[in-house]
Amino acid sequence: MYETIYHGFLMACMLVTAALIILCLIRAILGPRLTDRVVAVNMIGTMTIVEIAMFALYLRENYLFDVCLIYAMISFLAVVILTKIYGGAYQERKIKGTPFLQVEDEEEQEGDEL
Amino acid sequence: MMAWIQLAAGGALIVTGILTMCAAVLGVYRFHYVLNRMHSAAMGDSLGILLVILGLMVLSGFQSGTLKLALIIAFFWIAGPVSSHMICKLEVLVNENLREECEVPDDGSV
Repeated sequence: MYETIYHGFLMACMLVTAALIILCLIRAILGPRLTDRVVAVNMIGTMTIVEIAMFALYLRENYLFDVCLIYAMISFLAVVILTKIYGGAYQERKIKGTPFLQVEDEEEQEGDEL
Repeated sequence: MMAWIQLAAGGALIVTGILTMCAAVLGVYRFHYVLNRMHSAAMGDSLGILLVILGLMVLSGFQSGTLKLALIIAFFWIAGPVSSHMICKLEVLVNENLREECEVPDDGSV
């Protein structure tokens, strides 16, 4: 009785979290700006950690908590590296004079010149 | 009997945390600009994960895994604001039309 409710409850919570992860993924694809996508990726990382922690209790395996901790560190590192790389690329292109992330404006300007 | 109390308390905490995360995803869809969306995403990243993992700690009882779960919360509460701040700095750096989206102080600090 107890085992059935325990496993059923954790499985239901895992399914809801999986649905939330898919919604975040759709947001990452839709997101009009670059930073929208980084925010969505950050949220996906958080929810994956919750999912792994619940799965660890579902299986009653303690080693999955270590996976969870490492995943938290890698998710944080991913955000740091993405922001650093995009900031650096933006400043580099600003020095060169080519616009960054403004392809539509550039096309309009070319159209005006023609 | 003790196990049932644990299940009820932990289950209530987990359900509250998952509802907080649902609210965070809803906010990410409803807001229209990144800096507003980040406000909602940070709520799920801090309060949501705190409630869910507290619930899992109650559910798992007193063992070595409980301390690891506490360590996850500690790490996330240190790392989450830092990553939010870095994303915000990137947005302010990259967005050339920031003044059209939100109020910016005119003292040259941005």
